[in-house]
Amino acid sequence: MSEKNREGKRTARERMLEQRAAEEAGSRRRKKLIVGGAVLAVIAAAVVTGVVVQNQRSKPETPTAAPAGTIGDKNLVIPVGASNAPSVLTVYEDPRCPACGIFEREFSATIDQLEDAGKIYTNAHVVSFIDRAVPGKGSKNGANALACAQDAGHFRDFHDVLYRNQPDETNDAFGDKAVLLNLAKQVGGLDTPEFQACVNDNKYGGWVSAVQQDFDKSSYKSTPTVLLNGQPIYPKNGNEEITPANLVKWVDAANQGKQLGTAGSNGQSPAPTAVASEANNPSPSAG
Amino acid sequence: MAGPAVQSGGSAPAPQRVPVWSEWVGTAVRLGLAVVWGWAGLAKIADPAEAAQAVRAYEILPEGLVKPIGYGLPFLELALALLLVIGLGVRLVAGVSALLLLAFIAGIASAWARGISIDCGCFGGGGHVDASQTEYLQEILRDTGFLLLAGFLLWRPRTRLSADGWLAS
Repeated sequence: MSEKNREGKRTARERMLEQRAAEEAGSRRRKKLIVGGAVLAVIAAAVVTGVVVQNQRSKPETPTAAPAGTIGDKNLVIPVGASNAPSVLTVYEDPRCPACGIFEREFSATIDQLEDAGKIYTNAHVVSFIDRAVPGKGSKNGANALACAQDAGHFRDFHDVLYRNQPDETNDAFGDKAVLLNLAKQVGGLDTPEFQACVNDNKYGGWVSAVQQDFDKSSYKSTPTVLLNGQPIYPKNGNEEITPANLVKWVDAANQGKQLGTAGSNGQSPAPTAVASEANNPSPSAG
Repeated sequence: MAGPAVQSGGSAPAPQRVPVWSEWVGTAVRLGLAVVWGWAGLAKIADPAEAAQAVRAYEILPEGLVKPIGYGLPFLELALALLLVIGLGVRLVAGVSALLLLAFIAGIASAWARGISIDCGCFGGGGHVDASQTEYLQEILRDTGFLLLAGFLLWRPRTRLSADGWLAS
C-alpha cells in the first residue's frame, strides 16, 4: 500500500466522522428547535385559553339583574331616605369590614335620623372585597343578602342588624347563609320564602360582583368610604374628626337655605330617638 | 500549559459533564419551582375580577391591559408549572420564569417606591391593603428566592426524570 492510498483512506474516515458529527449536531439543533417550539406553543395556548375562559367566567360589569329600586346608570347603588333630600351621603361598605362595623355602630342611628328628617339621601355601595384578603364568603353572601333585603324593601333595617351582629373579620359567620337568614328574623316582615330563596340561591351574585368591580375601578381604596355631597368625610372632613355631632353639623351646614326632603322612614323602622352608639354582638351562631 | 490533552476536540460541543448528584438536585429544584408556579396560578383562577384588581392595583398598566394580564397570567404560570413537572425545554422555561420573576420584583419595588399600599397578589388576593399591612420586603425576598431556583435551572438545565433527558438519550 502506498503512502498516498493510506492517507486517502484516513481522510475518508475523517470525512465520515466529521459528517456524522455534523449530522448529530444538526439533529440536536432540530430537536432543540422542536422542543423550544413546543414549549412556546404550550405557553401561548395556555395564555390564550386562559384569557378566553376567564373572560367567559367573569361576571359582567353591568349586571343582568339588580334589586328593585336600585339607582345609578348600572343600578349598582341602593338608595335610602327621600330622594328629594338636599344632601347626598355616599357610603361604600363591606359587610365583613371591621372598620365599617365600628362606623355603623357609632353612626347608624344618626344617619337613620338624618334620613328620616329628609336631610340626607344615602347612596349605599355594598362592596365585597374582604373575601379576597381573608378566606371566606361572608362579604359576598352578606352583600347578596343585603340586595335581597333591598328587593323586599327592608335594606336599612337588615343593614343595621347585620352590622350590629358583625363577627370578627377572621370569623366567616356571614359566609353561612343560615346565619344571615337567622339575623333576618330580627327584621319584621323580612323572613319570607322569597327572601330565603334569594339568599340561598345567591340571586344577586352577579350584581354583587358588578358593584365590587365598580369599586375596583373607582379611586377609593378602603372601606368605609363616606362622602357628603361628593366630599370625603371619613375619618376626617378637612381637619375635623367625624363624630355623630359633627356629621349633623356638616349636613345642616350643607343644607342651609335649602328645602328639606320628604320626612319619614320610607317603609323602614323609624330611626331611634337617641344616638348612643350600639354594642357589638360578635360571632353570631347559626342556631 | 501543562495538563491532560483535550480528548474530544473538534467543532461539536462536548456533552456537559455534570455530576449525578447535581442532576438530582436539579430535579428537586425543577419540581420546587413547578410547585411555586402551580400554587401561584391556581390561587389566581377562582375569581377573575380579583385577579384583574390585583393587576390594576399596581397602577402600572393601562386599564385595557388589566384584564388580559389578570386573566392570562395564572394560565402562563400553570403552563410553566406543567412544563417544569415533565421537564421539557427546561432551560427555556427557566428563562421565561426568571424574566417573569424579575418583572414581579420590579413591579413590587415600583409600588413600594411610589408609596402605594398593596398586597402583591402573588398567590391570590392582591389589591389595596392598609399601609401597615404591606410586606414589600418579604415579597421581594421570596421572589428573589424563586429567582435563584430559576437561575440554577438556567445554569444546569439537565436534570433527572425529565423529558429533556429522555429525548436526548
